[in-house]
Amino acid sequence: MKELLQIGLLLGGYSLVALCIASFWIPKVLRWREKLAKLTPLMRELWWTYSIYVWSSHVFFAVLSLGFGDWLMGGSGSAMAMCTFMLLWWLVRLYLQFFGFDLSEVEPSITNRLAKHLLTLLFLCLVILYASLLSWNAGWLPGGGLP
Amino acid sequence: MNVLFLEIGLRIAGLILLGLVLANFVAAKRLRYAHNLAGSATMVRQIFYVHCAYIIAIISALALLCLGWPQLLHEEKMGRIVSGFFGLFWASRVIVQLTYYDKGVRRQERAWDVFFLAIFALLSTVFTLAAIPQ
Repeated sequence: MKELLQIGLLLGGYSLVALCIASFWIPKVLRWREKLAKLTPLMRELWWTYSIYVWSSHVFFAVLSLGFGDWLMGGSGSAMAMCTFMLLWWLVRLYLQFFGFDLSEVEPSITNRLAKHLLTLLFLCLVILYASLLSWNAGWLPGGGLP
Repeated sequence: MNVLFLEIGLRIAGLILLGLVLANFVAAKRLRYAHNLAGSATMVRQIFYVHCAYIIAIISALALLCLGWPQLLHEEKMGRIVSGFFGLFWASRVIVQLTYYDKGVRRQERAWDVFFLAIFALLSTVFTLAAIPQ
């Protein structure tokens, strides 16, 4: 089980890196610059600030998953807290993917549809990964919990 | 640094963070988010609110950790990595405030500008100190 989770962490970490890189295309695909032009300067500044902080959180999750997997699986209280937070983060994002966003204004090209399905799959896998890590740290999975 | 002082600092940071969570709701009304976003595309409005909610979620979770389990943020390596991230997070917020936000608006609201700069600098200091092995 431990090996499986370690592989999951690596895959999850690299997927998050891919997500962070792909995020640079989102403003272009969704034509943010053109759409944000209608906002007041302060709202535009807030928009970019929020976006960059959310993006930097994804970078941090990737760094944790790729560089600090041992601590993330160490069974400590902080590992459980971090896994719970990341699980909630992606769970809410998965919910929003299905019930939150109105994607009708996005051009229904093959690329956009493929990207949407890949994102949904990624969010689902991340929910499974962090739920498994939380279960491991809590000792609900064989071999898990505090050593 | 004395661990007791550090934990008191983290608990104070927790209270400040709770204040920031509330301030986000006040800001939404004061800066008239709903009115200013009314004319924008649906997707823009939705992404704005989602990002705003996620930022509030991060701050709330950190406040919970600081107030309930401050030792988790400095006792072991994992916690110190998280503290290091938030040290950078709040330090960058100071830079954003000084270099990115509209100078005219900041001048109009000078008292709040200085207040929040001080808050962000304080939070950055506390979390950076927590990231340093004791």
